[in-house]
Amino acid sequence: MENPIKNISYDALVIGAGIAGGEVALNLANTGFKVLLVDKELSVGGKMIMLSKVFPTLDCAACITTPKVSEISRHPNITIFTGSEVSNIKKISDNEFTAKVTKHPRYVRVEDCTACQLCEHACPVNVRDQYQFGLIGRKAAFIPFSICSPKAAAIDIDNCTLCGACEKACPTNCIDFTQETEIMDLHIKTVVVATGFDMFDAKKMPRYGYGQHKNVITALQMERELAPTRPFNTILRPGDGKVPDKIAYVLCVGSRDASVGNPICSQICCMYSIKQAQLLMGALPMADVTIYYINIRSFGKGFEEFYQQAKGMGVNFVKGKIGRISEIEGGNLMLRYEDINEGKLQEAEHDMVILSTGVLPNTGIDKFFENQTLTLDPFNFVGQSDALASPAKTSIEGVFVAGTATGPMDIPDSILSAGAASSEAISYLIQRS
Amino acid sequence: MTDIKKDIQNKANSNSPLGVGGSVEIGKTAKYLREKLGGIPQQAKDNLKEYNGIKKQMLEALKEQDLTVKQMAEKINMPTDQVVYYLMSLVKYGFVKTGEVDDMDEYYTYKLNK
Repeated sequence: MENPIKNISYDALVIGAGIAGGEVALNLANTGFKVLLVDKELSVGGKMIMLSKVFPTLDCAACITTPKVSEISRHPNITIFTGSEVSNIKKISDNEFTAKVTKHPRYVRVEDCTACQLCEHACPVNVRDQYQFGLIGRKAAFIPFSICSPKAAAIDIDNCTLCGACEKACPTNCIDFTQETEIMDLHIKTVVVATGFDMFDAKKMPRYGYGQHKNVITALQMERELAPTRPFNTILRPGDGKVPDKIAYVLCVGSRDASVGNPICSQICCMYSIKQAQLLMGALPMADVTIYYINIRSFGKGFEEFYQQAKGMGVNFVKGKIGRISEIEGGNLMLRYEDINEGKLQEAEHDMVILSTGVLPNTGIDKFFENQTLTLDPFNFVGQSDALASPAKTSIEGVFVAGTATGPMDIPDSILSAGAASSEAISYLIQRS
Repeated sequence: MTDIKKDIQNKANSNSPLGVGGSVEIGKTAKYLREKLGGIPQQAKDNLKEYNGIKKQMLEALKEQDLTVKQMAEKINMPTDQVVYYLMSLVKYGFVKTGEVDDMDEYYTYKLNK
């Protein structure tokens, strides 16, 4: 049921509260502009808040993200709507846009929730935890993850049995099943699109066996296994709980591959795989880690040294293209590959395989806009109208783009891109004030 | 008056179904939604039933002895990947704890968290 209410006005609408959207919101807010930051997820922080460490410095990702998220959450000029979606953006004059924001019910009054987790303990339900990429369960009444913001419970209404146990356990009576969807009419002067990226679905390449062979996982799943808030007590195979000792990485899964519709390089896969390989060598000192690659693209500051460091630690690099992954006895995996240097077909056995999946655009962003066309580039990322001189400008005057919504990039580049977008937006707002 | 009480008072004064002036009693809103939806989705019911059954089987098995994933899979006749998922969830919820790793450093045993 929808409960349409209120008109709200802000200087800027920032769509997407990942590291780029958050940076844009902070820059605008620090300059005195009122910002509405909207994210479809239950927490701000985007994908970065879910990572273990960052490359090439191996700094803790949460330690970088958490203070920033805290600053965004407490800033008096920033209003955050999580679990919300933007639609129907219309340009009605030179510096005025209207939009609709649909706020889905969380069934918890966030301002009253103390994140005590008593509702979580009381809830009898168990479903796969999307924030641990399905490796473990969570309750239907749940705190999304330990460093989420807002730090408050939410109810997964699709899986809730409406038993009321969470309400009985809640000491602040903050659980409220009478909440309904709210639709707000929004007036803003500028829009920044920071909708981030999507990951390639490895199930679209059945020859790698993801979803079928239980010890083939994605790099994002391994990212969770390596994080301090990991699903298991240590690195384990999800197929049988064995500590792996012969691990393979397969690079370029769903990127640089026109046959799956994504011919471009994802720019981050080589480095995040090398990062994970180094972390695995630390977590499992006796393990062998092999990276199967087509080319290692270590183009950024400190990247080549990071690659050489991994080699020095004993990570085995094989220039090879994987044809097929088959499951053999005991849940181990046989990789059939073309050894590019030797020009031969080879086979190698591993007990766990990690697919380094590529970066894809988040589709449907152009559908947010009603009376103007947001042009996309040939790969469906948001098009930059002047990529060299003003990379944050889009085909719509007053609409700017930040971070990986424009194309694959790493975290420092996303933050730089957010800086450019916020500067353009501030300049636009000042010129028209 | 605390903020929570103020909010409850505000709800009572508004058109919200929640609160003293509304038709729904605070702390019993699940019943309100259950009645409004005309029951509970079948999928949620089935999922709960399945989980409760598996949880009971696993905790019963661990009462007898500490088990590895493979041993648990044989004992309750379930695929090992499903055992990992449910057993790790029970570790997370505090019913089970991780024991020792075997001599080959390959498989951990799991035990009841008494």
